[in-house]
Amino acid sequence: MDFSSLYDSLALIKPEIIISVTLVLIVVLDLIYDKNKKLVPYLALLGLIVSGIYILSDIANEGFAFKMSATSNKFGLLALDSFGSYFKLLIILTSVLIVFFAKHSVEIENTGKRQGEFYTLLFGMILGMMFMVSASDLIMIYVSMELLSFSSYVLAGFIKLRDRNSEASLKYIIFGGVASGVMLFGISLIYGLTGTTNLYSINAALQSGNINLIVLGFSLLLIVAGIGYKISAVPFHFWTPDVYEGAPISITAFLSVASKAAGFAILIRFIKTAFVTNVDGSGNWLLVPVFDWKTLISVFAILTMTLGNFAALWQDNLKRMLAYSSIAHAGYLLLGVVVFSQIGIEAILIYFAIYMLMNLGSFYIVMLIADKTGSEDIHDYSGLGYVTPFLGVSFAVFLVSLTGLPPTAGFIGKLYLFIALIDAKMTTLAVIAVLNSVVSLYYYIRVLKHMFLTKPNGEVKEIKLSTANVVYVIVLLIPVLVLGIYFSPLVNFAESCLAFLSF
Amino acid sequence: MNLYDIIFYLFAAITIVSAFIVVNAKNIVYAAFSLLFTFFGVSGLYVLLGADFIAIVQVMVYIGGILVLLLFGVMLTHKITSVDIKAGSVQTIPAVIIIGIFAALLIGLMYSTHWAVNPAEIPVTTTKSLGKTLVTEYVLIFELLGILLLVAMIGAATIARRDGDK
Amino acid sequence: METIGLNHFLVVSAILFSLGIYSVVTRKNAIMVLMGIELILNSANINFVAFSKYGNYGLGGQVTALFVIILAAAEAAIALAIVLNLYKTFTHINIDEIDELNS
Repeated sequence: MDFSSLYDSLALIKPEIIISVTLVLIVVLDLIYDKNKKLVPYLALLGLIVSGIYILSDIANEGFAFKMSATSNKFGLLALDSFGSYFKLLIILTSVLIVFFAKHSVEIENTGKRQGEFYTLLFGMILGMMFMVSASDLIMIYVSMELLSFSSYVLAGFIKLRDRNSEASLKYIIFGGVASGVMLFGISLIYGLTGTTNLYSINAALQSGNINLIVLGFSLLLIVAGIGYKISAVPFHFWTPDVYEGAPISITAFLSVASKAAGFAILIRFIKTAFVTNVDGSGNWLLVPVFDWKTLISVFAILTMTLGNFAALWQDNLKRMLAYSSIAHAGYLLLGVVVFSQIGIEAILIYFAIYMLMNLGSFYIVMLIADKTGSEDIHDYSGLGYVTPFLGVSFAVFLVSLTGLPPTAGFIGKLYLFIALIDAKMTTLAVIAVLNSVVSLYYYIRVLKHMFLTKPNGEVKEIKLSTANVVYVIVLLIPVLVLGIYFSPLVNFAESCLAFLSF
Repeated sequence: MNLYDIIFYLFAAITIVSAFIVVNAKNIVYAAFSLLFTFFGVSGLYVLLGADFIAIVQVMVYIGGILVLLLFGVMLTHKITSVDIKAGSVQTIPAVIIIGIFAALLIGLMYSTHWAVNPAEIPVTTTKSLGKTLVTEYVLIFELLGILLLVAMIGAATIARRDGDK
Repeated sequence: METIGLNHFLVVSAILFSLGIYSVVTRKNAIMVLMGIELILNSANINFVAFSKYGNYGLGGQVTALFVIILAAAEAAIALAIVLNLYKTFTHINIDEIDELNS
């Protein structure tokens, strides 16, 4: 690699460079202003917004960055394309919302001087995810995934005063270490089989045949276990409820949206780049017949939605309930993968944008209530709907949207997923998904029943909201309502972001 | 049987036997010390594979860093004489059976597969070419690891530090 | 007796991997499980280096092994920091016994 190609590569990753520079600046600022941490969130926001502007302006730029010149192939560590840019935008947008989320959160404010570390680690997560979504080399995938994981292990146990934070953190890092170790073993076997870790070269090697299918299948199962841990697909989900309940709620919200998005981006890019030989006229993917992806992902999808929804039925802790609900949503999203077509991917992109809004909204309201009442238990929500109608009504909208009922945006997200399924003639899966949505209705509505219909024991105090709280909820609420009726801009944007870099 | 073979079997034996002790030791300190021999055996295997620099790094980082860290963890978190840490295992017999079958299948698979083999002369020392590869082809991962270590350092410090200044 | 080849190294790595998995499944102590994870990472590293030599795939495998060693060190540091922090509140670190969360 000479300097001119290095320069070309750097020009392609401007958003990531800005995030890295911001990370370092946060560390420096944190050291200079030892007493006052008020500036740190604004610096974080500045970095995120500049990075977001660069992603938007370069969305049409495509190319391989950090090419492997020595092995005489033109593929690099990163493949920059509009699919990756969509996920990067989603991650930046979520991060901006999470910075405000953390600013409003009492538990983060109480960490006092440690807020500088909080934002440093948050940026570690963001940087890991930004590289994950465009990584086209298994080693790059592994390293960026570890950057995301390490930061989130620490953040999950960031508030030391509560015991359950450290417990969640310990379980998270131990099982996360196992998952990534197992994934690494799978990667090493793929390296042995194909002689490369680059997804594009793996594709070429698979097409040329001469691959031991048993070893390949085994190594793919190991790799899927590693990715499945990140997107909390059943049976690799067992950490999710504990970690989501134990972590600070701003981090829970971030994990449930951004980290999941990055995991899905990796899964889709891995299958698309390494296994798809051709995309036919109607957008269906033709896979190399070496591994039965369809059955594997279908089984995962069914297990994930069903277990997520049924386990959520028994939860009294709202954070835990939302954790299971996010597992169930990962199951719905896997349905978009299983159709193996451009329509399915488009449905995933649409669903993720909507899922981000409604999920962050729900977590934010749970945080507001927990900060004021000190409880996340459903029984302490009794009567809250009447004393603070604004919170009650907006929570109702977010939960209805999570269920997937019209006229909210959640309906549109589910609609596109089901259309993709029926288009691919997978009616059975569509029926299972619809039945699951019906089950989910029960536990979402149960919350509303407690808020509006259950008689509270004793007096219920009004929850006082600051203007910033109200603005934040409204900022999330309006798109959830508007996208339920006027969704063509989002659909068009998602449609324009389906390009994968090909050979 | 030539010298190379004898050395291979020696290091392989060291690695596997000590790894057995690691997973079966009742006492966590014994486990940590036999892990030292596992790491040493693996580093010997690296030398046999012509990866001299990796072998050195294995000794320095694994034995000098990670293992010392683990021992500190053991010693800081319990008095060695106390019975507080239960190193005993649960449901050992089903686990032994299932993992034994798994291991047998895996070993059979590894042994019987015909891997693509086209050996070439490995340069006598790999350090120079390894360094070159690190800062050319893999420069992005190299830099990313720098950030990762910074984040890990800050993270570990913020978690382990005593909270006097809340 | 046949000469030592790629498969011999792979068998060693397969045994290490299985032992690592065994340790993860049966051990309750967090530091013991961490040792199991180190065994798994070492087995993957043997694979990388062995494939890179016998397949003549260049130095990619060795560089990867180097990266993995660095990541393992960082992971051990964070995990032990968390263990120490937890030890201040609980007096033991058996991951199955920490069940305040399992309601």
